[in-house]
Amino acid sequence: MVLALSDADLVRRIGSGEDRDAEGELYRRMAPRVRLYGLRHLRDGHAADDLTQQVLITTLEALRAGRLREPEKLASFVLGTCRMTVLDLRRGAQRRARLLERFGADQLLPAPVPESQFDYEQLARCMEALRERDRTVVVMTFYDERTSADLAGFLGLSEANVRVIRHRAIHQLRQCMGTAS
Amino acid sequence: MSCNGPIDAAILADYWLGALAGPEEESLEEHLLGCDYCGARLLEVITLAEGVQRLAREGCLRMVVSDVFLQRAAEDGLHVREYAPAPGGSVQCTVTEDDDLVIGRLAADVTGARRVDLCLCDERGVEQVRLQDIPVRAGSASVAWQESSPFMRAAPSMTLIARLVATDEAGTEQLLGEYTFRHTRSLPGPGSW
Repeated sequence: MVLALSDADLVRRIGSGEDRDAEGELYRRMAPRVRLYGLRHLRDGHAADDLTQQVLITTLEALRAGRLREPEKLASFVLGTCRMTVLDLRRGAQRRARLLERFGADQLLPAPVPESQFDYEQLARCMEALRERDRTVVVMTFYDERTSADLAGFLGLSEANVRVIRHRAIHQLRQCMGTAS
Repeated sequence: MSCNGPIDAAILADYWLGALAGPEEESLEEHLLGCDYCGARLLEVITLAEGVQRLAREGCLRMVVSDVFLQRAAEDGLHVREYAPAPGGSVQCTVTEDDDLVIGRLAADVTGARRVDLCLCDERGVEQVRLQDIPVRAGSASVAWQESSPFMRAAPSMTLIARLVATDEAGTEQLLGEYTFRHTRSLPGPGSW
């Protein structure tokens, strides 16, 4: 059963010859992880999906060719591949933006993403329950993606204080939303 | 799915915000590429962040905001309706279907105030809600108070009095300013909460 294999064992099986089951399991296991990396660095679900596909194709090619000498270092290898691919995608995005500007983008808008089942009303209640200062920090942090330094200037606090407030508020929100473990 | 050294959700939020130092981010990313448990926690944090963004965009939250926030909202194409009565004065106001954010601009000198509260009162001046210890910027000439736009869209015509109150260490209160908002409902229907 490939499901029970460690990442390193999967690498060894893929490297020892064509093993579709091991490759499938590696893809299933790594795809969500790579997608998270993509969301963090590309800030877009579609771009994260593209990244996932490209990184895993590159990884599988490398594993089949036995280019990963230390199977235990799969995560490092995938991380390196993610970084290179993000750089490539960014260059490609710039190229695409130039082309869209030249030829018009109206026809190429992505399909709308379906609404998630997230409970926004509960989140609003949880936000209301935060202290005023904490609510402001959370909103400005996530809506505006302001750094701690920016917020510190607005609030007249130190950056460390802003970070403490943000951490406390996130814990309180997760508790309130029932997602804290 | 488990993890021997789960990463704190607040650290994951720092990661999402790009607030971690290079080496810290690198080791966290390597961990995430091998750990589904922490990946699931990161996904929760992302969902939370996106939820907050949505609530902010829809103007659902009653809170104090910064000018930078309002500027960014306007750049994002949000329609910001702002009223700025003078201290001791009043203003006629309304909210339309097109308004995303509803702001009361309260001019006040908050210099030296240890703590400032924003009190929301009914037309008789009876306090109904108090936002305690609101964030105020030293040297700022005003406080930008955002009222929930869904709340205001649902509101009937009414008068609302906002007061900024400074509180010292002994708990003594000092009125910094009082501002009267005379809201006229302009949307169809009688309005009710």
